[in-house]
Amino acid sequence: MADFLSNYSIQKWLESCPQGYLEDTVYGHGVDEREPEDLLQNEAYREQQIRTTVQLIAGERCALAASSGLVNAAPDQASKTFLATQTLDEGRHVEIFTQRLYDLGVKPIDLESTIKAYVNPHLGKFAEVLLEKIDKKDFVAGVVGQNIVLEGMAFSVFEMLHAGAETSNPKFARTLSGTIADERRHVGFGENRIGELIRRYPEKKPEVQRMQRDMTKHMLATFHEAFARNGGPTEARASAPQKGKPGPTYQGLNLAEASNEDMEEALSATVLKEFKTRLGRIGLDYQSPV
Amino acid sequence: MAQGDNPHDLDEAEFRATVHSFEFWFEAVEGYLHGRPYGVSPGLQDIELSERQRQGLIMTLCNYCVGETAALDASSGMIGFAPDRGAKIFLATQVVDEGRHLEVLLHRMKQLGVADPDAEIAQRANRSLLKFKDRLLDFVDARDWEASVFAQNVILECLEFTVFRHHAGTADPVTAEMLRGIVSDERRHMGFGENDLGRRLLTAPHTHDRLCKIKRELDSLVLDTFAETMGELGIEHDDRPDLAGDYLAAVARLGFGA
Repeated sequence: MADFLSNYSIQKWLESCPQGYLEDTVYGHGVDEREPEDLLQNEAYREQQIRTTVQLIAGERCALAASSGLVNAAPDQASKTFLATQTLDEGRHVEIFTQRLYDLGVKPIDLESTIKAYVNPHLGKFAEVLLEKIDKKDFVAGVVGQNIVLEGMAFSVFEMLHAGAETSNPKFARTLSGTIADERRHVGFGENRIGELIRRYPEKKPEVQRMQRDMTKHMLATFHEAFARNGGPTEARASAPQKGKPGPTYQGLNLAEASNEDMEEALSATVLKEFKTRLGRIGLDYQSPV
Repeated sequence: MAQGDNPHDLDEAEFRATVHSFEFWFEAVEGYLHGRPYGVSPGLQDIELSERQRQGLIMTLCNYCVGETAALDASSGMIGFAPDRGAKIFLATQVVDEGRHLEVLLHRMKQLGVADPDAEIAQRANRSLLKFKDRLLDFVDARDWEASVFAQNVILECLEFTVFRHHAGTADPVTAEMLRGIVSDERRHMGFGENDLGRRLLTAPHTHDRLCKIKRELDSLVLDTFAETMGELGIEHDDRPDLAGDYLAAVARLGFGA
């Protein structure tokens, strides 16, 4: 365990993250990069981007609360120091996505009301399930919920958003690529650290699996509402800059042309497949919410 | 904040948003951490310590680890009830700072030949400092923001600032450079406590009395920590530095005098 955890030291984090892929960035993107003018001029598309960014902020606020809450519950110093780096990663994500709302024209004074107006209620329930474990200082359940379920979901969502933004919005794509690199490290820690703890405390399995099932239920409801009911990304994309252009693709789908249902299905299938793989690696069986 | 901008030219809200950001933190630490793995320049030569010096340094580092673990647990716990986003993000930067301090101190202990730092810390930890840690975490568990900021970002940070700065002036070159990097972080943490509590005291002056009561309780633990540690290190009374005076002066400079 000691050798694996030495790869998650603060020294390694400093060299690879702030002094590595974040070097010469401001709020996670290039100094000269801006939101595209055609996005800012297109009210429907701008609102859809605000709505999407609000969900990212809500997810990252949950991750910040969870990772900071886990520091105190960590059973060893090396896990504490890794979680310290994760806490700052999540704090940075809250900061850069909040900054993106400002870049999209939201005034700082309207920040909280904008988040309240657009946040997906299922995402709040998803967070509640996880934060209940954190409040109880349940390290094993907390790390599975945070570093496998929440981070696994975030990783796939960011990848899909990154695919969509790569050509149409290099600034947002760059911001996302830094967060994807962070999430990869967080998921890696979760898999490596928790596998050993699950083997040591097998009696924890049923409770942890129940939590995964509940979080998955709220995650799928979040996706459903985001794609089908909450504002209709298709309509927004109909006038978005990439409409009619050949790319971008995600899991074989043309994101500019795909229906909301197709996108929801592609994202849900990708996340659930990742869950099954990652949970299997730590000795847990995926529990379907259905 | 654009490069070259002076945060002191900003209005109060913008100033706080700027100095509590990840961006500001990174610009601050980059200057003294870049190219210094574990807080020390790679070319810096370690000097040979006598066994008495080595044992004294190990005991001192063990107690620094107790303080830094307290700060790590407290600052991370405070994020959950911090009053606003700026405070949460500042505390996230402090969590990494405290985690880094713990990591570099443990690394130094290993360089000094300590095979099991956790066992060494458990054996050598100062009782008054452990009591201080318990009191700090009581405030955090009670989600008492004012008491937590005061105990952590004023009292504990002033204690560490005083001791580390003094020690850096007399320590071997490797330990001294490592401690100077930590002191630079502590200044930022003290600034946060001073700014946050200063604003609160303006609108709720009665808070001052409450904090002074907490200060009296914690001061006695801090002063006992100094006395016990110097006694255990075998420093004669006449040779002891005036850490208590320096600590009380540092706290007074933040607006919390006797």
